[in-house]
Amino acid sequence: MDNKDYISVYFDDEDPMLQALRRLKENNLTIIDVLTPFPVHGIDKLLSVKRTRIPVGGFIFGALGGILAFWFMTWVFTVSYPLIIGGKPFFALPSFVPITFEMTVLFAGLSMAAGMFLRSKLKPDIRFKPADERITDNMFVIVIGSNANTTRESIRTVLSGISIIEIR
Amino acid sequence: MDEQFIFSKQYRNILPILAAVSLVVFLLAVVLSGSGSARIWSNILLNNQFFLGISLGAAFFIAVHRVATSGWQTVIQRVPDAMTSFLPVAFILMLLIYFGMNDIYAWADSEVYEGLTGAKKIWLNIPFYFVRMVLYFAGWIFFIRMMKKNSESLTISSDLKYHNRRKIFAGLFLVFFGITVSASSWDWIMSLKPDWYSTIFGWYVLISMFVASLCFIILITWLLRRMGYLKVLRSDHVHDLAILLFAFSIFWAYQWFAQYLLIWYGHLPEETSYFIPRQHEFTLLFFLNLGINFIVPFFGLIRTSSKYNLNRVAAIAAMTLIGHWIDYWLLIMPETAGTKATIGLPEISMTLIYACGFIYIFFRTLSHGPLIVKNDPFLQESLNYES
Repeated sequence: MDNKDYISVYFDDEDPMLQALRRLKENNLTIIDVLTPFPVHGIDKLLSVKRTRIPVGGFIFGALGGILAFWFMTWVFTVSYPLIIGGKPFFALPSFVPITFEMTVLFAGLSMAAGMFLRSKLKPDIRFKPADERITDNMFVIVIGSNANTTRESIRTVLSGISIIEIR
Repeated sequence: MDEQFIFSKQYRNILPILAAVSLVVFLLAVVLSGSGSARIWSNILLNNQFFLGISLGAAFFIAVHRVATSGWQTVIQRVPDAMTSFLPVAFILMLLIYFGMNDIYAWADSEVYEGLTGAKKIWLNIPFYFVRMVLYFAGWIFFIRMMKKNSESLTISSDLKYHNRRKIFAGLFLVFFGITVSASSWDWIMSLKPDWYSTIFGWYVLISMFVASLCFIILITWLLRRMGYLKVLRSDHVHDLAILLFAFSIFWAYQWFAQYLLIWYGHLPEETSYFIPRQHEFTLLFFLNLGINFIVPFFGLIRTSSKYNLNRVAAIAAMTLIGHWIDYWLLIMPETAGTKATIGLPEISMTLIYACGFIYIFFRTLSHGPLIVKNDPFLQESLNYES
């Protein structure tokens, strides 16, 4: 068991976990990953995770969807198949707005979901066996890279005073 | 932390002088342009609505955060708190409308009144109008008082009952506010055109109020920061204020469009009579209203990084605040002044008088207590807040 190259520290709340994270960073220990049951505010900054570019993609695809919907309706109602509906002009701008809006939202939403799956390499039929069932439930886990100097004992001393459930 | 806002003598002197100068300018402009008393009264009604809206929006802001038991806003809590202190003054100013009823409300004229149908006859008459007005203000002031009182008790005692009571009063306020703000917008604005109605009108006015109020909160936060106060304010708090401004600007546009689309599509003469003069006579302002209140905050705040930048958020808030004044102008003026309505010297000087008064009352209330309530149980949460 001692030969694995990482150490997992278990917490049962976000506050001791964040406290431990700050202290580990002060001691320049390599943090491989942090596993939490829910999104924790401020953790991106602590781990210096780069900001995601997914919103930019969402904006571009949303704009594309909006333009596409608007162009299509304009083409249909003025060029391809002009019909008089309720005495309105062929190019009835206000009545195009709801569909343009919906298509913008649809394209932005779908493109962001697709982008998330692509970036995280998540796909159907992916098999994953967690090292510990509890990390999928209620435990906050910090995974630290271990080497000759970084052992369970040294980490226990670094994190003394913080309520830890387990180190393994 | 131990910040105390000092309402410096300089500002205390400048504001009344500016108001007095504006009053002189207003009177001169009205006399010289030869416009009648209708213009005076509609200006009073417009600014009553606008500044009452800012003040009520602040109360709405407080109540929503109390009901949600949220704590991030605690560092700027005194700003909306002080904004609500304008309400009693707004009440007196609103009662003044009594002397101008015949100038602005068509239904105050007995001939028009006889032409009204059904329940409108019961609703739109001068005594009931003022009974309702007193009722609205009494309720608003009562609930705001109760929220404030329990907040004060909570800074002295750690008893949970004050916290719960504050939450209950905030909830009751929201229920009362939801109904009365709709009803008051029918009374004060929609009845300017007694033969016209729109069921979404109350919501539309409520959102306009709230956005204007958010803009004012952001601008004051920016100003206090410039003056060297609010050192504990971080970009995370700015981010949340900007999110609210962004989201509610979109919601305002949604309301605007929901009203416009249905009336445009239905094409019933009794409904389109509201939009036709606005769109055809005041085309520039009509579309400027939509651009300044929707396009500007939407594209100006869409990037996350811009929501963290207080200077940028404040610049957009300033524009949107002016935009909502134009929104109220479009609601009121085309009815009271017809096609002759303009934004001239009387409008600007009257708004300045109100703005000076509002800011004076606001700053005086703000200087009466510490800028950050030290014993507020939510303060630590707000200081540690990460968005």
